[in-house]
Amino acid sequence: MKHFGANKLDDGVIQAELCIGCGACVDLCPYFRSYRGKTAYLFPCTREEGRCFAYCPKVEVDPDALSRFLFAKPYNGDPLGAWRSIHIARAGARVKRQPFQSGGTVSTLMYFALRSRRIQGAILTGREGLLPVPKLVTRSAEVWRHGLSKYAAAPTLAAMNRAVAAGYEDLGVVATPCQATAVAQMRMNPLQNPSFRDPTALVIGLFCTWALDFRKFEAFLAERVPLRDIVKVDIPPPPASVLEVYLPEGKRTFPLDEIRPLVPNTCGYCLDMTSEFADISVGVLEGRPDLNTLIVRTERGEEIVREAGRQEYLVMEDMPAENREHLEWAAGNKKQRGVRCCTEAGRLNGEAGTACLRLNGEVIERILKNEKNGKESSCHI
Amino acid sequence: MSYLIDEGKNVQHLLMGNEAIVRGALEAGINVAAGYPGTPSSEIIESFSKVAKERNLYVEWSTNEKVATEVAAAASFAGLRSLCVMKQNGVNVASDFLLHLASSGTRGGMLLVSCDDPGALSSVNEGESRLFAKLLEIPLLEPGDFQEAKDIIPWAFDLSERIRNIVMIRSVTRLSHASGNVRFGPLPGTAAHASFTYSGPLLDPDTGPVISMILAAPELQHGPQQEKLKKAAEIFETCPFNTYTGPEAPELLIITSSACSLYSREAVSILGLEERVGILKLATTWPLPQRLLKRHLAAAPKILFVEEVAPTLEDHVKVVAAEAGAEIGVKTFFGKKSGHLPSVGELNPDLVLAALSRICALPYESAPAAFSGAVKALAAQYAPPRGMTFCPGCPHRASYWSIHNALQLDGRNGFVCGDIGCYVMGTLPAGFSTAKTLHAMGSGSGIASGFGKLKQFGMDQPVLSVCGDSTFFHAAMPALTNAIHQRSPFTMVLLDNRGTAMTGFQPHPGSLTNVLGDTVPALDMEKICRAMGAKVEVSDPFDLEKTRQKLNHLVEYAEGAKVLILRQACALSPERRGKKKYEVTVDESRCRGEDCGCNRICTRIFGCPGLIWDREKKVSHVDEIICAGCGVCADICPAGAIIRKEIA
Ligand SMILES: Cc1cc2nc3c(=O)[nH]c(=O)nc-3n(C[C@H](O)[C@H](O)[C@H](O)COP(=O)(O)OP(=O)(O)OC[C@H]3O[C@@H](n4cnc5c(N)ncnc54)[C@H](O)[C@@H]3O)c2cc1C
Ligand code: SF4
Ligand code: SF4
Ligand code: SF4
Ligand code: SF4
Repeated sequence: MKHFGANKLDDGVIQAELCIGCGACVDLCPYFRSYRGKTAYLFPCTREEGRCFAYCPKVEVDPDALSRFLFAKPYNGDPLGAWRSIHIARAGARVKRQPFQSGGTVSTLMYFALRSRRIQGAILTGREGLLPVPKLVTRSAEVWRHGLSKYAAAPTLAAMNRAVAAGYEDLGVVATPCQATAVAQMRMNPLQNPSFRDPTALVIGLFCTWALDFRKFEAFLAERVPLRDIVKVDIPPPPASVLEVYLPEGKRTFPLDEIRPLVPNTCGYCLDMTSEFADISVGVLEGRPDLNTLIVRTERGEEIVREAGRQEYLVMEDMPAENREHLEWAAGNKKQRGVRCCTEAGRLNGEAGTACLRLNGEVIERILKNEKNGKESSCHI
Repeated sequence: MSYLIDEGKNVQHLLMGNEAIVRGALEAGINVAAGYPGTPSSEIIESFSKVAKERNLYVEWSTNEKVATEVAAAASFAGLRSLCVMKQNGVNVASDFLLHLASSGTRGGMLLVSCDDPGALSSVNEGESRLFAKLLEIPLLEPGDFQEAKDIIPWAFDLSERIRNIVMIRSVTRLSHASGNVRFGPLPGTAAHASFTYSGPLLDPDTGPVISMILAAPELQHGPQQEKLKKAAEIFETCPFNTYTGPEAPELLIITSSACSLYSREAVSILGLEERVGILKLATTWPLPQRLLKRHLAAAPKILFVEEVAPTLEDHVKVVAAEAGAEIGVKTFFGKKSGHLPSVGELNPDLVLAALSRICALPYESAPAAFSGAVKALAAQYAPPRGMTFCPGCPHRASYWSIHNALQLDGRNGFVCGDIGCYVMGTLPAGFSTAKTLHAMGSGSGIASGFGKLKQFGMDQPVLSVCGDSTFFHAAMPALTNAIHQRSPFTMVLLDNRGTAMTGFQPHPGSLTNVLGDTVPALDMEKICRAMGAKVEVSDPFDLEKTRQKLNHLVEYAEGAKVLILRQACALSPERRGKKKYEVTVDESRCRGEDCGCNRICTRIFGCPGLIWDREKKVSHVDEIICAGCGVCADICPAGAIIRKEIA
């Protein structure tokens, strides 16, 4: 695949307002920086090819190449991507109660991976106020402090780039689907660097329907709640349709209709709800917000999940077929929306260097023909 | 002892035009001189200051040109001889007061010296100050060479005292900054006594109060002012500095003034046109000596005006010619309006040659094309094209780096309103093209104050202004006052490099010593801004990260006017010049060069002249001769390849 340089990334992604601020291009060099949720291109870099462009999950993504690289099979547009097993999970008896978003599966697995030295460090996303702040965590006890979802899009991968530059290997990463796509692209050594080594040992992907624009989200909440006092933010699974803000004195809820305008356009272009290019993907179980949905995709993912279960860090059971079908329905919906949105914008298989995504006709058809899903005509969230 | 006060009989010295003006003023017994620095005028106040003790002078760098003119006017009102000096833009600043002064009149001889900069060699524009003489209704003199630059000054002082009004002297860069031999005259004694008399009748020019107020009767004040101008015109008819060279009835008459008279002489002589072309060199260019002009106009059928920038002489002489049409007949005029000479930029002998050869139908090629081509090729070989940039170790480069980055990170299309100083280069790649407006002294902050109030119309771009320390006192304080009072949310970045750096480190009101070397109270900008009510932060621009953080913080802080003082002495300042803080080197093994991960940000973007790119080895180097040792580049290198070692 042809790669381009930073100017093209700026034109095709940042100026086009397709940047989600994932941080994959940030801190590789002096040109891209993240500030208050936005990625800034500081000065023009004249290189024809660069890691910034190659890593970006919003331009020239080739799911088929990623699928072949990670799972040794073609990308066929299935709603949940490639998987080995799907479970219901939560933190086990070995884990003290912590502030988790739901079942604590993600924090627990990262804690376990660090303790068992499967990874040298974990790239996690904490927060300062409402601002998501990515961090390299090397002490296992520190993992717990980074629990809970930050619903604003975060530059998590900037911390990963810094850790790699500092010489860390075998990293664990907790990533949203766009971030997990970027990490998969990093792992492919796109610029054929001879001294390259896969920087990851474990990629845990989160489920994601959309994230929020940090600056808009902050401005929205600043007018309504004392930002400093926020304990937790949650978007409980449907049919709730609210955003909940936990404060010491209680909970405030905001209808999702008020929140959706804070979602960046770029989330509409996204086909991936379940972090298809991660080792393991984790979400909230519908109807049971205290439990997680867990999808195991790779061999190394399978290994750690098995061990974490065996050592009672994790409690798991099989997922009922009914739940899985509903999950597939939701993920399929997002795929259709994404394909329509990219097509409308001319960014599905479009001009080299500005296309978001490359898919063959057969896969596009499969996604759009998925009968379980409704016939949404627009790409609006 | 300075050669400027050499009292030897008939001695000659090689003087800059500006020094010749100073010597002329000394021979005229000047007492007070005030000015504001600005190229090409600055050497005048500096030269006065060097002989201030011996000559019993009071000399100052004033806060701005208007104040300088007021200071000099006070001396005149008290019966002394005085002079105020500035560059062309300064006359604009002083013009409000000047219009009043021209109306009230002066007592002791007083001169306004304006050094214009045709071609804007060291200015943001090539504004023409001569038109002020007409507007202000005061006489204007333009010396034509170095000797005249000295000789014309005592003559001008006498004129000022005869007509009781200020007289304007206009020099240009090529006269002020070039040097020539000047024969000295005697110096008078240094005794002087100042006293302001005001007890006479209200409108008595010699004994009453000095006021400029029409009092509903223009004829009482404006009338006498115009009489003074008429008197000056009469004196100009026999002014010894208006000269004519050439045949009695030339085919073509060149009318010229100032440095252009030298170009004209050279061109006529190269073309061997001495028998055909006459040159009327005028020193008295406003008001024009009508009879003298008529005489010369009558003698020639064709007239060529050789002057720089605006067609000032051209327009004024044409009026004389029109009025005298019946006597002198119809003339053919050449000059800017006919397209024979350009109306922008400096003139030179070559341009005059080209105009003359066209008019006189002489085959002349100013320089053969092949020759100019060869010259350009050679020049390119030895002098690669270079953009304008800041000096090595300049704090402005670091300041703009942080401002640029803060605005990019902020991501709301913020911008900087530029101002006058070396930091005008904020509009260029040297300053990362951060400044998006650039006008007069202090205007950056005034414009920013205005932008700050446009939120009501949906404008949400962050607005910054930059302003030097000298500019702050000169004209930016009223703008800041306005912004604070109107609650305009902009951020003023005060680039405090401890002196009026661009023009050569003249002191300003924030300095501890004045131009005479006396210790004086220094005004503290930080305290002033705080007392005015601005939110104030201070940072060292060499601390890039801290400066950037403070900037982002201030830019996000929406309430009212904010000031960030970036304090770091100019690289050429006496305290830093030749003293390196760090020894800076590049560790080649770590340098990423053009690879993904740097792409030579140091040499390609940061652009300090101390950093050089080795094309062969594909690594960057530090040129230890040029490097000023500020060590800032070590903080921009992403690979830690630039190493700085503190010099003990
Ligand atoms: C923006 C966003 C949208 C989501 N949308 C859905 C959804 O639609 N459906 C669904 O089932 N689940 C969604 N999730 C996932 C869900 O909120 C939980 O993160 C997940 O179920 C894991 O729960 P847990 O208790 O194991 O997490 P915890 O153990 O509490 O751990 C949370 C982990 O998430 C990481 N994290 C937090 N915020 C971010 C961020 N902004 N970017 C990257 N990493 C982050 C932290 O590093 C931490 O390791 C979303 C999460 C995010 C961040
Ligand atoms: S091409 Fe490389 S050096 Fe240039 S901006 Fe991209 S990552 Fe940075
Ligand atoms: S890599 Fe991430 S942060 Fe960079 S441009 Fe792409 S989406 Fe934005
Ligand atoms: S919807 Fe897609 S693009 Fe938006 S945050 Fe989630 S994974 Fe990223
Ligand atoms: S910034 Fe550093 S790594 Fe980049 S070219 Fe300069 S010295 Fe080399």
